[in-house]
Amino acid sequence: MSWELVAGLETHVELSTKTKIFCSCTTEFGGEPNTHCCPVCVGLPGTLPKLNEKVVEYAVKAGLATNCSIRNISKMDRKNYVYPDLPKAYQISQYDKPLCEGGYVELNSGKKININRIHIEEDAGKLVHQRGDIYIDYNRGGVPLIEIVTEPDFRSMDEVVEYVEKLRLIMKYTGVSDVKMQEGSLRCDVNISVRKQGEKKYGTRTEIKNMNSINFIAKAMEYEFRRQIDVLESGGEIEQETRRYDSGLNITESMRGKEDADDYRYFREPDLVTISISDEQIDRCKKSLPELPQQRLKRFVEVLGLPVDDAELLIKYQKVADYFEEASAGVESPKTVSNYILSQIFRRFSTESEKEEFNISIPPEYLSVLVILAEKKKITSQVARNTLEKMLDEGKTALSFISEEDMQGVDEDDLRRLCQEAVDANEKAAAEYLAGKEKAIGAIIGFIMKYSKGKADAALAAQIVKEIITKEI
Amino acid sequence: MVGKDDILKIAKLAKLSVDESKIDELTKDMGEIIEFANTINTAVTNVESEDFDEINNIVNAFHQDEIAESYDRELILKNREGGLDGYFFVKRRSEK
Repeated sequence: MSWELVAGLETHVELSTKTKIFCSCTTEFGGEPNTHCCPVCVGLPGTLPKLNEKVVEYAVKAGLATNCSIRNISKMDRKNYVYPDLPKAYQISQYDKPLCEGGYVELNSGKKININRIHIEEDAGKLVHQRGDIYIDYNRGGVPLIEIVTEPDFRSMDEVVEYVEKLRLIMKYTGVSDVKMQEGSLRCDVNISVRKQGEKKYGTRTEIKNMNSINFIAKAMEYEFRRQIDVLESGGEIEQETRRYDSGLNITESMRGKEDADDYRYFREPDLVTISISDEQIDRCKKSLPELPQQRLKRFVEVLGLPVDDAELLIKYQKVADYFEEASAGVESPKTVSNYILSQIFRRFSTESEKEEFNISIPPEYLSVLVILAEKKKITSQVARNTLEKMLDEGKTALSFISEEDMQGVDEDDLRRLCQEAVDANEKAAAEYLAGKEKAIGAIIGFIMKYSKGKADAALAAQIVKEIITKEI
Repeated sequence: MVGKDDILKIAKLAKLSVDESKIDELTKDMGEIIEFANTINTAVTNVESEDFDEINNIVNAFHQDEIAESYDRELILKNREGGLDGYFFVKRRSEK
């Protein structure tokens, strides 16, 4: 009998506030160690935390964007554990009254991954281990996080990967986080267990901590899934524990026995007052939400007529999708704009983060004009492609590169003469076409485009060439 | 119930020396302190924790999202003998 994977995810998302959750130190990434610190965020006795209002607003937005209900009354709690990354020996988090509860993220299959809760908390400092000594940098200590906790609804690695990608996009679109995984702005803990297919009871779970790459999450789960099956099939038992993923060795290894909530001795944070959010405030947050990625995808497909794959690629990078929308204004076929972006323009970017940044030398209206010229048959698609390359190189308008001659194209009589010459010069290709090899016509069209310097209308040329070849039989 | 062993254990943890002749008295005192602390259990029944704030009508004490200058690192590290290379430093525990 085969084994089934059961997994749940805890995702920590760093919020894009300017200041930390309980003090006014900057949240800027990097910086010399311990230069973004004050007595509050290094936990000196006698200091008092004060909650950042923006943190509450961002968490509520994240909750609404993931279909959660928002608590009108909420509070902060202390989660006690002793580790050098926490100078107070407790983390201020939320226990029994999180800001958001009961949401979901829908996968492409229609399956809903249920979100149990979203709560706010402070990030811990960063530890650098060297030969057993520990160097501590508290710049990150107190940076605001939301933790998004799902139910154990995942049954495959693919579902986890899709969920993380969707969640990342939602957080990015709502503007609550820059979700730069390489900078640790989105980190996942995966709870994973296995059970025999058809069984109702969950197996003992392990937790793999702190992964900041979708690729690592998939690999770590794959390894842990196999490991647990091997242990059970050889008669062993799974220990409830926390494990870490070693990406170099592609293994998970035990860190410590897993704590339960009781071990953390949660109690209400006495230094922070109740958080009260009115229905009006929740409504305001709801109204301020932008169009979310899935809604945008649907609109690109249903209203703008893009193929789903193209639309998915565009919405994956928010700036690209914005650019596409602006460049599509006034054009007949948004698909043409999308084609230029996804082929010619994307070729200039080799990494994901370059696509994410989408630093491009021409504003969207320049591309729009080029597409309109091609649509109105003022220039051929070949001229349009060549022109776009020059525009991208020099950051200038289409008209800076298109000559009057380009705009004139090739009139139909001249084109017919050129087609006849092309067929005569490519007898072999014409014969192959007649014999049923459709692609052979490409050589003839290539000849025409070469001798017209790319100005001939390729579609019309193909039509004329076919007429000539079939007439000559 | 606090016993003599508890007093000795607390004294050891707190690195305090305790005069043998004072132990009975300390045991009695500590018992009374614990007894007093226990009265809080009777005081908070049926009260939601956030109701406490309603006594003073204090909710939503927020700070605005505006950056203030952080402290000089020297000052931040002062409690840890200046740290090491700008970091708080925890030396490896000896293998004893």
